[in-house]
Amino acid sequence: MYRILVFALALTLVGCGRDGQLREARRNVVMVEVTSQTWDYRLPWNPGTVSSARGAGFVISGKRILTNAHVISGARYITVQREADPRKYPAHVKFVAHDCDLAMIEVEEPGFFKGTTALPLGDIPELESVVSVYGFPIGGDRLSVTRGVVSRIDYNSYTHSGRESHLAIQIDAAINPGNSGGPVMQEDKVVGVAFQGFRGDVAQNVGYMIPTPVIRRFLKDVEDGRYDHYVDIAIRWMTLENPAMRKYLGRPNDGRGVVVTDIFSEGSSDGILRKGDVLLSIDGHPIESDGSVRLQGQPVQLEEIVERKFAGDPVELEVWRDKKMERVTLKLRPAEMFSMYEILYEPPPRYVLYGGLVFQPLTANLMAVLSGSADLRLRQTYTLFGQDQLYRETPEPVVLSFILPDPLNVYLRGMAGQLVREINGRRIRALSDVEPALRAGGERSVIRFEGDQRPAVLKKSEVDLAMPRIMTQYGISETSRSDSDGRRLAKGTYPRTESK
Amino acid sequence: MKRLIQLLVILLVALPWSAWPSTPNESRGSLVRVRASIQPYDQFRPWQKKSPFGLSGTGVVLSRGRVLVTASLVANRTEVGLEKPGSAEKCAAEVEAIDYEANLALLKPTDDQFLKGFSGVSLGTSLKAGDTAEVWQLERNGEMLRNQAEILSAGVGRYPSDEAGFLVYGVRVSLPKRDDSYTLPLMRNGQLSGMLMAYDRDSQEGTAIPVPMIEHFLKDSSDGKYEGFPTLGVSWSPLRDPNLREEVKAPSDGGILLMRVNPIGTAGRAGLKEGDVLLTVDGFRLDEDGNYRDPLYGPTSIGNLVRTRPYVGAIAKFRISRNGDEMELTGNYDRRARDEVAIPTLQFDLAPRYLILGGLVFQELSGAYLQEWGEKWPERAPQRLVQLFSFQQEMKLDPKKKIVFLSQVLPSATTAGYQHLSGLVLSGCNGTTVGSLEELASIADSTTSGDLVFEFMDDPKKLVLDAAEVKSGGDKLGKAYGIPALRKL
Repeated sequence: MYRILVFALALTLVGCGRDGQLREARRNVVMVEVTSQTWDYRLPWNPGTVSSARGAGFVISGKRILTNAHVISGARYITVQREADPRKYPAHVKFVAHDCDLAMIEVEEPGFFKGTTALPLGDIPELESVVSVYGFPIGGDRLSVTRGVVSRIDYNSYTHSGRESHLAIQIDAAINPGNSGGPVMQEDKVVGVAFQGFRGDVAQNVGYMIPTPVIRRFLKDVEDGRYDHYVDIAIRWMTLENPAMRKYLGRPNDGRGVVVTDIFSEGSSDGILRKGDVLLSIDGHPIESDGSVRLQGQPVQLEEIVERKFAGDPVELEVWRDKKMERVTLKLRPAEMFSMYEILYEPPPRYVLYGGLVFQPLTANLMAVLSGSADLRLRQTYTLFGQDQLYRETPEPVVLSFILPDPLNVYLRGMAGQLVREINGRRIRALSDVEPALRAGGERSVIRFEGDQRPAVLKKSEVDLAMPRIMTQYGISETSRSDSDGRRLAKGTYPRTESK
Repeated sequence: MKRLIQLLVILLVALPWSAWPSTPNESRGSLVRVRASIQPYDQFRPWQKKSPFGLSGTGVVLSRGRVLVTASLVANRTEVGLEKPGSAEKCAAEVEAIDYEANLALLKPTDDQFLKGFSGVSLGTSLKAGDTAEVWQLERNGEMLRNQAEILSAGVGRYPSDEAGFLVYGVRVSLPKRDDSYTLPLMRNGQLSGMLMAYDRDSQEGTAIPVPMIEHFLKDSSDGKYEGFPTLGVSWSPLRDPNLREEVKAPSDGGILLMRVNPIGTAGRAGLKEGDVLLTVDGFRLDEDGNYRDPLYGPTSIGNLVRTRPYVGAIAKFRISRNGDEMELTGNYDRRARDEVAIPTLQFDLAPRYLILGGLVFQELSGAYLQEWGEKWPERAPQRLVQLFSFQQEMKLDPKKKIVFLSQVLPSATTAGYQHLSGLVLSGCNGTTVGSLEELASIADSTTSGDLVFEFMDDPKKLVLDAAEVKSGGDKLGKAYGIPALRKL
């Protein structure tokens, strides 16, 4: 599996040769300069490291500026600049959708928009048709343009979130760091937002853009003033190509239908679909036995039907169940059971510190910093969390992630990286269980782990004495950050980081 | 210049000691070359073997006409031969006893006259850190090279095919590169003190199987019925932490905390339980780190006390503290906790079993299969298989039932649409649970028409084949893929 590297694409228009397009691009493409802060899950109490980067954006109707989520994630200070105006205008994030790597930023100063015309959105371009990519990639400071053709239209993973796959369009134009967030144009319309590509040592001339159906979905989602997550049908299905399998399920060999193999509890299909159901159509589109449906004449994965919908929208399915046809309707909701695999950008990392022991919820971010030291049990819990529906028992596994050395915990060193099972006799199902459990019990706190690791035992009176010392020693001002806010933020609302 | 002279002097003095050609008589009496042809099984293509290769080592002739080598020299052998040093006289040999955990094997020449005239060596006493010994090597002409070795440590350490550890010597020795060095004897005063099983030329350090292990192995095998080294069947934690001691009501000092006790193992059947503090074993007091005081080696891990010293069947005496109450418990040493498992750790010399039904390849899960995924098998192998293997005790897998899984699919018309599947654990077939390949075979054999419905733990939960098609298409499938037999049970 190649690792797709995300980079910021700044697009400069070099030349699809149309003066009108170039003129429009020069008016509307903006350079986005961002100073951001990245949380350090190794030191979750710290405000994080500050870094600066440059990407691109473009003005659309309503004085809105579109860019990539990864350009502005963790932003503390944003400025935008147009080619025609040397001034840098402060901007702030209005909406961010990490799951589809899109963001909308706002500039308060009305003067900024003088001379902009707003770029209109187009449709999915034809294969092999020519597109131009505008942005501010490495190699110079002025607007750059590269040109290429549409190579492929397919589902692809969106690396920024770490777990999502959506429709993406592959183009062979050179896309480089700094291009991110810039428009990809055909004639005078935007047909995509440049967002990721392969590193040069992996593949050449492979760049990806976010197509307009995804952009339109984002714009519609935020109409109500907030961005909600993508929704998911939350099932697993298998192609239905085997004749013996078809016969067993009572289906003729007509090349139609896929079979449901698993339903994720708490998901959209929970209680509505059943294992062994054969899905024959979705919202009236016949499902082929390889799982594809035809949309505007193009074969796409059946999930594409769901992709364009929103939380609460219905989906109608024609289902072959117990050798009878049935029609079912399900209401779509986000697949929250998989939120563990989503890389978090905005919410501050949550933790509880106790006698030098650091407790953190199991997240993609934590796994990234533990990677080398994570033992088999922790890795398996992480890997199988969704598949085995471990969330039903433990919605948020808690890890003893690090131990800050102190005379108090001298016998506990080397116990980091364990999954906490219970504290003082109370089962730990989420980080919010940790502090109440630590307060419960007698004069000793007993922390038990999954597996046959020994328990960690601390005297409460000694912990109380040691905490000020440990916090001074390690420069920590809060003993915990475990408010439920963090969890809500994880699901996509964006905290205003600028005062305006 | 002065340094050079010093260096020369040292070399002149040291050389006769470190590599003193011995009398031909000595090597004739004690060492033979052992050449083994090895051909491991291919776990990913269980119907075939991998490319063969040869290993050659040095065997120690024991007084009763047997040859001792490390087990790893003859693992997965197709043939083993002995060769006299200094001549090309050869003789085939068979393996009389072998223990992969202890890494020892006993060879018996097929011609019982072959070792006539060999006086053989006897076993010496065990060594401790600081002792010196010699590593013997054979020159091409049959002469012997004796290299002085220093024992750096004698304690419990890892063996190549064992998880828990046995007594092992750490040895420092400078060995010239010679053929037949896969196994080399460690000698002292003309007696066998150990078998060198690993050596690193850069650090000039190695590990040797010490004489108490050899003694145990030989004594066990002498009655023709080899039983192996016992095991307690527990996992434990040190009890240094005063807070933990207080929590488990441990006495003022000593003892280890039992974290898991296998109910069918030595400790479990003697009545030991999870949460007990184990204080003494056979009268030896355990300290807080799990060491006892060995009369020869000093503080030594409990591993030596319960695995090397006792024999299977011997009485085991434990003193424990349970919730602050001390008590004595008695049982018998055995190795059921090691042998009676659903998923065996390592398998040598055994052809992997398999069953191919219409192109679905079923195998029984073993450590050998997982290791075929390479050094990083815990990350690379299918995660369900890794989980079952690694956590089989806490998942309480029934040791009498094997884990049958779909290892791969050979694409054919019968398996159309299934070709991408692999690593799926089978739970049942046609409504009957499956605990071995034989059980699956008997269900498949007795179903001559209709469906064969396979049920799996993971997605897709069900696969269906046409039973008649499976039967009729077998020959064709075997021919197409060049598989000589569609099953090995």
